[in-house]
Amino acid sequence: MKKLIVMIVAVFVVTEVAAHHFYSKFPITLKGYTGDKTNSVSYSGQIARHVLHDSLKKLAGKGDGGSNAAEIEAQMMKYFKGSKEDLDIIAPKTKGDFKIKQTTLNQISKGKNLSGKTYKGVINGWPGQMTGPEVIEFMIKKAARTKGGFDPATGYNYPQLISKFAMGAVFYNQAVDNYLDEKMAPGSKTNDMPYKDGAYYTYKEHAWDEAFGYWGAVSHGLGLSAKQNYDITKMKDMAAADQNKDGVVDLKSEYNFAHAYYASSFDKGGKTNYYNTVTQAFLDGRKIIAGAKGEKLSSSEKAALQGHIAVINANWEKVIAESVFKYAGSVYKDIVKLEENYSDKAFSTYAKHWGELKGFALALQTGKSNLGETAVKLNRLTGMGPVLMNASQVTGVDSAGNYIKEEAQSWGEFKLHMLKIQKLMVEKFGVKAKGNDMLADMSSLASKVGSSDSAEND
Amino acid sequence: MLEYIGDIFHHFVDPKKRVFLGYIALSILIAILWLVFLKKKRLKSAIFKVFDKKILLSGSAISDYKMFLINRVLMLILSPYLLTQLAVATFFYYSLLSIPLSGLISFLNDTPAIVVAILFTFVFFTFDDFTKYWVHRWMHKWPVLWALHKVHHSAETLNPITVYRTHPLEGILFSLRGAFSQGTVISTFFFIFGDKVDLVTILGVNFLVFSFHVAGSNLRHSHIDIKYWVWLEKILISPAQHQLHHSLDERHYDKNFGAALAIWDWIFGSLHHSEDIDNLKLGVEDNDFDPNSITELYLKPMKEISDIASESLSSLKSLNKIFKI
Repeated sequence: MKKLIVMIVAVFVVTEVAAHHFYSKFPITLKGYTGDKTNSVSYSGQIARHVLHDSLKKLAGKGDGGSNAAEIEAQMMKYFKGSKEDLDIIAPKTKGDFKIKQTTLNQISKGKNLSGKTYKGVINGWPGQMTGPEVIEFMIKKAARTKGGFDPATGYNYPQLISKFAMGAVFYNQAVDNYLDEKMAPGSKTNDMPYKDGAYYTYKEHAWDEAFGYWGAVSHGLGLSAKQNYDITKMKDMAAADQNKDGVVDLKSEYNFAHAYYASSFDKGGKTNYYNTVTQAFLDGRKIIAGAKGEKLSSSEKAALQGHIAVINANWEKVIAESVFKYAGSVYKDIVKLEENYSDKAFSTYAKHWGELKGFALALQTGKSNLGETAVKLNRLTGMGPVLMNASQVTGVDSAGNYIKEEAQSWGEFKLHMLKIQKLMVEKFGVKAKGNDMLADMSSLASKVGSSDSAEND
Repeated sequence: MLEYIGDIFHHFVDPKKRVFLGYIALSILIAILWLVFLKKKRLKSAIFKVFDKKILLSGSAISDYKMFLINRVLMLILSPYLLTQLAVATFFYYSLLSIPLSGLISFLNDTPAIVVAILFTFVFFTFDDFTKYWVHRWMHKWPVLWALHKVHHSAETLNPITVYRTHPLEGILFSLRGAFSQGTVISTFFFIFGDKVDLVTILGVNFLVFSFHVAGSNLRHSHIDIKYWVWLEKILISPAQHQLHHSLDERHYDKNFGAALAIWDWIFGSLHHSEDIDNLKLGVEDNDFDPNSITELYLKPMKEISDIASESLSSLKSLNKIFKI
C-alpha cells in the first residue's frame, strides 16, 4: 500500500514538473463557459499556416522549365491563398520511421491561407515596390516558370526566397506586430471577454497562443536540448519529437517549425539560447494570463506581460539577424570558390545562399519597428539580385514584370558587402552565434599573435 | 584586487613576453655558461657576477622596477582604448577587397597550407622587426620623440626589467606601430590566402619570437656582454651590440637600432660591431635630469616636448614677422 502511495505521488510530481515546462495544458478560465472543453490552449490555425508554408516551398521547386508552369502556379496559389477543398500536406511528410500523423491540411485546421496574413506594407528590398502579398504572388509566378525553382539568368532561387521571406512576412509579422502588439495593447478586447462569440478561451489567452503558434516551437521544447529540437525538424529524432509516445508525430504540437527551428540551429553551437529564451517567455506570459482566471488583467500583470513580449521581440529578431549573418558568410565563401573555379553547381549553391540571405534580410524588415537606416543599408548591401558571372545584376522590374539587369559591382566589392552585412548585424542586433563569421579566422589569428599594448622597449 | 595584481605580473608567466620566467632562467644559464667557458671564470664568481647587487639593486634598477609597476597599471587602464591590430587588419582587409586584385593573385590559390603558415610566420616577424627598427631610429632622431625615448636611455645599469623603463606615451606609440605592422601583414595574407593563414608556434608563441627569447633576449639589457661572430652580428644583434647602443660614448650614438635582426642596421648604415670595453658607461648626457627620480622620468619629457613646441611656435611667429616686413 505504502509503495503504491509513493508511486502515485511520484507520478504526480513528475507530471506536474514536466507539465510546468509544457505549452500544452492551461485550464478554461472564461467566465460563464458551460461546454465540456478542459484545455484553453489552441493554435492549430498557425500550425496549418506553417504546413502551407512548408508545402509551398516544396512546390516552388517543382517547375520543369515551362511546360508545367500553369499547373504548378495554380497549385502554389492554392497553398498561398487557401482552397475550399482539403489540401494534401506536401511537407512535412513521413520519412522512414519519422511518421507524421496528419496527411491533409483539414486534419489540422480548416480554411486557412497565407495571403490574408502576409505583411501588407511595401517591400523596399524587392524590385517593383510591391506589397508583401504581391511580392509572394510575383515570386510564385516566376518560380512556376523555372526548372527546379532556380533561374540561372537572374540567380534567383525561388523556394528559398519565398520561404525565408514568408516566414518573416507571415509568422514573425503576425506575432510581433499583431498578436503581441495590437492585441495586447490598451484598447483591445480584455481578458474577461471570449476571443470571439462561442469561443472557450479568453481574448488574451488566444491572442497569446496564436503568437506562440507562429513562433513554431513544439509544446515540450523546453525539456529538450537544442540538438534534439533541431533534429526534430531534420526528422532525425523520433524519440524527442513523439512526446506522447503514440508512435506518430503530431504536427500540432510535436514538430518545430520556422524560426523556432532556426533558433535551435544557432543554439546548438552553445553560444546562444534563443529557443529556450523565447519559448520560456511565451510560457511565462501564458501563466500570467491563466493566473488572471478570466478577469481583466491588472496593471502589474500587463506590465509583466509586456516584459515577456519585449524578450520575445528582441530574441526573435536576433534569430533572423543571425540567419542574415550566417548566409552573408555563406555567400562570401561561395564567391571565393567561384573565383577559384567556376562550375554550374558552385554557381547554383551561391544563388541558393544568396536567396536565403535575401529572404531573411527582407523578413527582418517585417517586424514591429521600422529599421530605418539599417534597412536601407541592408538592402543596398544585399542588392536586388546576386551579382552574376557576366558582372550584371537585377536592379528592377519593368511594367510587364520583366527583370531589368544592369552592370554590377565587382566581385571584390560584393564580397566586401557581405562582410559589411555581418558587421551591421553585430552592431545593430548584437548577434552572438555568428555562423560563417568571415572575420573569425582573422580575429583568432590576431589573438594568437598577441597584443602589443604594453609600454616596453626592445 | 587579487585579479588586478595577477594582471600586473602576468608578463612573468606569459611565454609571449620577454620577461617570462622561463626565458629569464635560460638567460641566466646562458650568461653563466658564457662566463665560465668563454671568459674562464669560476662558477661561483660567474654566479656572483650575474647576480651583482650593484647592478640589480642600483638606483637606476630600482627606478626600473617602480616604472614597471606604474606602467603596468597605466597600460591596463589604457589598453581597451588603444587601436588593435585586428581593427587595422579589418580596415585593410576591407580596403583590399575593394581593389580588383583577385584575378591577379588567383595563381596562389593552390599554395599548400604549411607553406602559407611558414611564409606568414617569417614575413610577420621580419616586417614587425623592420618597423621596430625605423620607429626606434625616429625615436633617436626627432627631438620630440627623443624627449620620450631618453627615459629608457637614462638607465645607468641594465637589467631585464629595463625594457619597462619606457615613458607611457612612448608605449602608446609602440602599440600603434604594432597594430599597424601586424594588422597590415595579417590582412594581406588573409586577402591572398584566406583561411589557410596560420602562425607556426611553440608554447603558443610565434616560433621565431620564441627562438629569439630562448637565445637570451633578456641579456640585451644586462651587464653580460655576450658577443657574436662578426658575420653573425650583421644578421642578429648581440647583447653586447645593444649594450653599446646604450653607451655614453659619442662614438656609439645612433648605432644598433635593431630589435632582433641586425640586417636593418647593416643596410641603413647604423651597424656597430661589439667591442671589448670594461665598464661601459651607460645613460644620457643631461645635467637637468635625475635618472632616478620617478617624477622626473614621467614629467620631464612632457616639459621638454612643450618647450620644443613653444620654441617652434615662436620661430614660426618670427618668420611671420619677417614676411610681413
